[in-house]
Amino acid sequence: MSTRVPDTSIYFAVTEGIRAEANRLLSAGEVTAIVGYTTGRRTGSSQPIIVTDADDTARLCFSVTSVNNLAVYLTKAKKEIPKNGKIGIVVKGCDLKALVGLMGESQLKREELYLIGVPCVGVLASTVQPSTELTAETIAPKCRECDAHLPSGCDFLPDVALPPLPQLDGKYTAEIARLEALTPAERWVYWKEQFAKCIKCYACRQVCPFCFCEQCLCDRNKPQMVDTTPRPSGNTAWHIVRAMHLAGRCAGCAECERVCPMDIPLNLLNRKMAKELKELFDYEAGLEVNDKGPLTMFTEKDDQSFIK
Amino acid sequence: MNHTTQHSFEPKIIAFVCTWCTYAGADLAGTSRMQYPANVRVLKFPCTGRIDPVFILKAFQQGADGVLVSGCHPGDCHYIAGNFHARRRFAAFRKLLEFIGVDLNRLQFSWVSAAEGGKWVEVVTDLTEKVRAMGPMVEFKELALEEQWSGVIDTPELKEAYNAI
Ligand code: SF4
Ligand code: SF4
Repeated sequence: MSTRVPDTSIYFAVTEGIRAEANRLLSAGEVTAIVGYTTGRRTGSSQPIIVTDADDTARLCFSVTSVNNLAVYLTKAKKEIPKNGKIGIVVKGCDLKALVGLMGESQLKREELYLIGVPCVGVLASTVQPSTELTAETIAPKCRECDAHLPSGCDFLPDVALPPLPQLDGKYTAEIARLEALTPAERWVYWKEQFAKCIKCYACRQVCPFCFCEQCLCDRNKPQMVDTTPRPSGNTAWHIVRAMHLAGRCAGCAECERVCPMDIPLNLLNRKMAKELKELFDYEAGLEVNDKGPLTMFTEKDDQSFIK
Repeated sequence: MNHTTQHSFEPKIIAFVCTWCTYAGADLAGTSRMQYPANVRVLKFPCTGRIDPVFILKAFQQGADGVLVSGCHPGDCHYIAGNFHARRRFAAFRKLLEFIGVDLNRLQFSWVSAAEGGKWVEVVTDLTEKVRAMGPMVEFKELALEEQWSGVIDTPELKEAYNAI
């Protein structure tokens, strides 16, 4: 039988494995930098780090607070990344899906990356203190319905066996089902309240590996399709556009939701779209490198029962 | 159909159509002197593939009560595959709108060729009457109104001040 609490003891061995491999890679000159996690200032916390010197590899770690999807440091936030040579990156299963998507969209090249995979039992929700223990209550919602505890296709995986994992009910799945059962008017009331909270800080956009447009449609004013001020009408438009632009691409790393200061359940929309695209076109994002996504390809037999 | 009937509500219908098929179809309806509701405002695009879902959103925000998107039948696209792409995109977009809480009865998609003036009349008439029965689309308009404190005069003090003007 499965246990109730995820066993995080493997993270010590995972940390050791990452450090040793990073040290070997940098010493041998196989990579010019490693993007990984290091301990943060608050007890138990961790934060992203870019290591370019083999002597610094002891600073790398992996823990229940290694939540960030580091993929974003390879594309949008790559200021501190050396321009030449291979880059090593520490990836959880969920982060790997984003990398796979970015490769499909020609934003990254597999041969320029060295993937250090992490056998992962889960990370903490963003709403609890970093020193909290990982339990069925404190685990991040995305980890409850994770199907990628062991990332596949990495160049290196620490030699650690995954412990038996607890069976946790999916909060996203349940919430999507709850909303689907409501009437359109009730759903409108729900989302209206959620969107009204948005302050248009665009943290969700900034952190998203797939929001890499040089100029976002929502920032343009000639023509202005989306009102830019943080008010109900423009907010609603922003959230609809955001969900639409990520449909078929988002693999659910839920970083948007983690960074949102107003606690808007952003990933719910993305996951709903992922569910619909799976039903409509049998497509799941992040599983393999595809140069066409579900909304950039078609078949002649696609459903058109909604068209007169 | 008796077009002289007086209705208490005339819905605004925005039709996004492609220039090669549906626009020509609507033109045919016109030159053949077929009658259809004057509620529809036609916006011409090169192809359904050019119709961004955000246009539909914008239409609702600007006061549309119903939206029609129409183009060439599959296989007839002037740009070969534009309507195939559009078909997928709108299949997904419908699901999103539905999840947000928009009544999909206000959004119609159709294929109308240059020879189908009759079908154009039918599609436009059906949508107009359906939306007329549903009444005005208030959701997006309300959002815009909420942004202005004076949008809805709902406090007694404001009402009094307003009536005094
Ligand atoms: S979603 Fe899966 S791979 Fe990602 S942090 Fe949670 S358990 Fe780990
Ligand atoms: S992070 Fe939250 S508050 Fe900021 S723009 Fe995104 S949804 Fe709005």
